[in-house]
Amino acid sequence: MRVFVAPIMIAVMGFSSCNSFEYSPNQTFDRNSYRDINAGNLKRLGDGRNDDTVRFILTGDTQRSRDETVRFTKKINEMPGIDFVVVAGDITEFGVLQEMEWISRSLAKLKPPYVAVIGNHDLTSRGRDAFTTMFGPLNYSFIYGGIKFVCHDTNSREHKFNGQTPDIPWLKAEMQPQEGVSNYVAISHVAPNSDDFDQALIKGYTDNFAAVPGFLASLHAHAHNYQLFYPDDSGIPYYITSSMGNEEFLLVEIINHKASFERIPF
Amino acid sequence: MNASLFKSAYIAIFLIAATMKVSAQNLKFLIPDNAIVQFAGSIGYFSVGAGYDLFKNKRGILDFNYGYVPASKGGELNIVTAKIAYRVYEIKLKEWGKFYPFIPGLFLSYTFHPELSYRFNRNRYHPDYYHWSEAMRPHLSIANEIEFNGEKLLKGSGIKAVSVYTELNTNDYYLINYFQNTSELNLGDIFKLGIGLRLKF
Repeated sequence: MRVFVAPIMIAVMGFSSCNSFEYSPNQTFDRNSYRDINAGNLKRLGDGRNDDTVRFILTGDTQRSRDETVRFTKKINEMPGIDFVVVAGDITEFGVLQEMEWISRSLAKLKPPYVAVIGNHDLTSRGRDAFTTMFGPLNYSFIYGGIKFVCHDTNSREHKFNGQTPDIPWLKAEMQPQEGVSNYVAISHVAPNSDDFDQALIKGYTDNFAAVPGFLASLHAHAHNYQLFYPDDSGIPYYITSSMGNEEFLLVEIINHKASFERIPF
Repeated sequence: MNASLFKSAYIAIFLIAATMKVSAQNLKFLIPDNAIVQFAGSIGYFSVGAGYDLFKNKRGILDFNYGYVPASKGGELNIVTAKIAYRVYEIKLKEWGKFYPFIPGLFLSYTFHPELSYRFNRNRYHPDYYHWSEAMRPHLSIANEIEFNGEKLLKGSGIKAVSVYTELNTNDYYLINYFQNTSELNLGDIFKLGIGLRLKF
């Protein structure tokens, strides 16, 4: 009877998981999947009106790096004064619901609220729909501590270089002067120094940021290795964080309209 | 092009099936031996199929299923599946049936949806960029099955047997995630459940 132990054990493991009935790896939601994570977490974050030291974490490319994500979560939870965490795209490798659920399960253990930004891998298969249901819109913004964070889709290749990704008119509208906002930070997955960024839109994109008073930095992931570059002479820094798999993130601190950046290995 | 590739794969599987049944003198081998209805199991909210008993001992399984996932369940998806499996052990349950505790199998699913391609567009993506197929998915499965003797229980119905099976399956996506993250993911995370009913004629 020993031969039956293995299959029975596997069967028990299957049944013990409450989410075991699957209709397709390509389904975009199921009964138990998370909904509107970004909106829920931003509500928890609040507007930080009285916070004069804004500290947040930039990470990205959690694809296939769940073990690292668990250690990342522990590390962040030990750090004092972190207001929020941004996962700048490539939550998944294959753009499927199950990967989004697994990563959200790990990130749910973060003490600070987190938001996710769409990455190119997240747009494969039916990832766009799964992401929208689970996290929210691909372009969105929020204000914290007088700083407007503009999160957006720069995955031009997945949109067939259609000339509308990134959506520059939307970015312009988001960065109009606004009461209670003194600074701006842009966050997206693909940086404008990548071949995956629509080459026809690079200048319009960087010029737009350069023209915004109080624009502090453009933050990205995708390349998997840390980079700092200046695409023009505006002095605006463009940062790329190392990937989750490379076990390093970026701590960003904004005090008195000035941003500082620190690479932190974990 | 995707459809024609898929079609030729399907024909190849049929031919393999055909050679396994050379003993049949005419096209009788095309008549399925089983009818299948399945709930979940990663090949549809519900799927229906035709099955063939392989080998002399009839413990080999060759199934072709069509499955549907409605929009209200995370679709809309149309899925076709070809499965091979083998009932490794057979335990007789007195007069009324048999129990097959361990049925390992392999299946290929193809999902029809405008956003799922057989292969990523080579004009936009270098062959190394995304190296998998969105629409074609290889799966590994483990099932068990209880078979009730129809001649005893359903006299004169023409149904030789009725069986109920439960099947756990995983796929390449989940296995890659699992093997790279064994401390965070467990087998219960990557194996997905389906249950089915098989009528044997």
